Amino acid sequence: MVSKMPSLFWRLTTAISLVLLLGAGTLAYAAYNYAHTAADDAYDRLLLGAASQIGETIRVEDEAITTDIPVSAFETLSVSRRERVYYRVIGPDGASLTGYDGLQVPRALWKQGSSPQVWDATFAGYPVRVAALSHYVSDPAATGWTTILVAQTRDARNALARELTLRAMLLVGIMSAIALVGVMLATRYALRPLHRIEEALGSRDPNDLTPLDVQAPIEIEGLTQSINHFMERLSERMDSLQRMIADAAHQIRTPITALTAQVELLKRETVPAKRKHHLARVVARTSQIGRLVSQLLSHAMVSHRAQSITAARIDLAELLNQAVADAIPAAMDRDISVEMNVGAAPIFIEGDSVSLREATRNIIENAVHHGARTKITIAIEAKDSQVVLEIGDDGPGIPAAQWPEVTKRFFRASSEGIGSGLGLAIAADVAKSHGALLEFAQEENYMFLVRMIFPATERDAS
Amino acid sequence: MKCGFLACLFTLLSVPALAGTSYEFKAMDSETGHLRIEASGDIEAIEPLIRDFQALEPTLSITYVDSLTNDLYGMMEDACAKGAAVADLVFSSSVDHMVKLANDGCAQPHISPETARTPPFASWHDEVFGFTFEPAVIVYNRNLVPPSDIPRSRDQLVDLLRNKADTYNNRIGTYDIARSGIGYLFGFFDAQQSSAFGRMMEGFGRANARLYCCTGELLRDIESGKILIGYNLLGSYAYGRYKAGAPIGIVLPRDYTLVLSRAAFVPVHAANPQAGKKFLDYLLSLRGQQIAAEKCFFFAYGQAAPDGVDAAEPELQSGIYRPIPLGPALLAVTDRHKKARLLKEWKQSFQAQ
Repeated sequence: MVSKMPSLFWRLTTAISLVLLLGAGTLAYAAYNYAHTAADDAYDRLLLGAASQIGETIRVEDEAITTDIPVSAFETLSVSRRERVYYRVIGPDGASLTGYDGLQVPRALWKQGSSPQVWDATFAGYPVRVAALSHYVSDPAATGWTTILVAQTRDARNALARELTLRAMLLVGIMSAIALVGVMLATRYALRPLHRIEEALGSRDPNDLTPLDVQAPIEIEGLTQSINHFMERLSERMDSLQRMIADAAHQIRTPITALTAQVELLKRETVPAKRKHHLARVVARTSQIGRLVSQLLSHAMVSHRAQSITAARIDLAELLNQAVADAIPAAMDRDISVEMNVGAAPIFIEGDSVSLREATRNIIENAVHHGARTKITIAIEAKDSQVVLEIGDDGPGIPAAQWPEVTKRFFRASSEGIGSGLGLAIAADVAKSHGALLEFAQEENYMFLVRMIFPATERDAS
Repeated sequence: MKCGFLACLFTLLSVPALAGTSYEFKAMDSETGHLRIEASGDIEAIEPLIRDFQALEPTLSITYVDSLTNDLYGMMEDACAKGAAVADLVFSSSVDHMVKLANDGCAQPHISPETARTPPFASWHDEVFGFTFEPAVIVYNRNLVPPSDIPRSRDQLVDLLRNKADTYNNRIGTYDIARSGIGYLFGFFDAQQSSAFGRMMEGFGRANARLYCCTGELLRDIESGKILIGYNLLGSYAYGRYKAGAPIGIVLPRDYTLVLSRAAFVPVHAANPQAGKKFLDYLLSLRGQQIAAEKCFFFAYGQAAPDGVDAAEPELQSGIYRPIPLGPALLAVTDRHKKARLLKEWKQSFQAQ
């Protein structure tokens, strides 16, 4: 059972949702950082403005530096009404003039006389932003740099940053939603040709194996081509199957009719000698039918396997030994010698051992039944990266003019005999499915040879 | 003078000390909790509120300690630094002190439906809340000041002092801003509001104005006719005397009227902060505001001035009021340079003559 996979639609939607989510996350982080910087920028300006307002009031009165802290400086900072505010004015001698004495100046960040600066700190337990400003006092009584510090808690900044981030995120969310809906619609649209193919296949008559006539975009043209190719092969298989059944029926009907006639004769014959003769004919006919049926089945099997079995490594010598054992019955009316000519090293090829055994058995049987006066020779040879399998007999052979015909089904070299006309057709089919060549040759020493030449295969060093 | 039996008993028994005057209000039912209020405010004004609150929370016993504003500020600053729980609720008319303490992290936030109703100028950072509405008024002696002399603005007051210098010489009174917290606060915002402040102080100096530490003394001298007109008095106390039958008249200046909202907060270190928050909610609630308007402070936010007060048309009043907003701007009020400068200028104006 093939486990059910999620639909293309959901795969695309999920993948793009993930991308959008990742994008939204990145944007949220960027927006948060940006909003924080923007909020700090805006409020730092207010902070420095307040410090500068205080700085402008610094002057020397009665030989002492004094300030006139303006209410407006704090009003500027209390715009949000959520801020705690701290301030301190430091004189040239480093002593506090007014404000919060505890508001510290980090030495690393600030020296008297530095240009305006803003930094983060903690005061009274609250995280604050501190602005520092220098103001030069030039008076005979007191001369030097004063420092104005103004600090503010972060509540308003954080609130502003949060609001900016939320607004940005709202936009990102809306954009993502639009993109997602767009993707879903686009996916449905893009998948429509597949639905058309599905409908075309679904509404088709089961016997209709003509190519699909559906317009498809290039991405799924391969699919329609494969479907069409598959239907073509299926159509061929069906045709050959039907032909085979028709042939088989025809081929079997004739000998059975003959057998029936002979059995009729046998039934009516009373002369014992003649009865014996008829009985022998019946036996011969029966065995011929048996062989025919066996070869028909074997042919059907071979053509089925050619399309369905994956290749395996085969030891040719071993395969041939079995074929010989199958083909040559233990009790023969003739004395035939079988000569095996196999090298010391085993020779392997890639292929289907069952088909090959069937093919070689048929060739050997052919030799036994139609030729082979005294001997059969079998040779395997690996040369020029090809493997040549050669089966010869010293019989009359097949006239060269008939060579192209003998591999066709139900071709009989002569009208008599017990051949079914399938043996060499099976061998030819097997050779074809192994990419091998089936050749005939008539040697000068009266040997008739059948050769199967297998193409080069990768061979193990062993 | 109207006051409850228990409170009077304790007033008589307790000896005013630096720590303030303490008043005990026993729980009406069996006691399940205690509320300690450290404040700066006359017990007469606060008692009706405490009594009404106890009617709602009969199992709560309450201690009310009245101190001078500066003492209260010093004590709270000290307690905050040490982390000592000295009170469950603090309030004072020196709102600058209250805001400074909250700014320094000595108050704990409180958010409730009642605090949400507070007008914007009367709340800061969900920590400090103004629960009263007390205008700074001009008070005169009804029997001795003829209606044609009644000053209805600062300009009219300055003109009166110039035109009838003999009548009013030495018979004008106001706060000594060096001694009175409320006087300094009103003076500070007068100086912010109008350029005429200096001119007015010079006029006061020329008229040999008398300076007072406290609202009570000022009112007493106006009632007795020792002085004829007092400037910048807390309207709530003045109206209390007016209601009690004192021969005084009250004017809300028509150029602008400063408004103080007494500020309260729950200290960050409190033994029973829930009780403090309950009382704070009560002070801000409609019921509390109603009691305050009827029995304690007589003026209320969003309401017309009470009967008998010489004020602009009710629809104009909200435009004339200048509430002192609770917020960091009050930090400038507590700044030492600022205070020294204002006191110096004030003295110079006063002694210019």
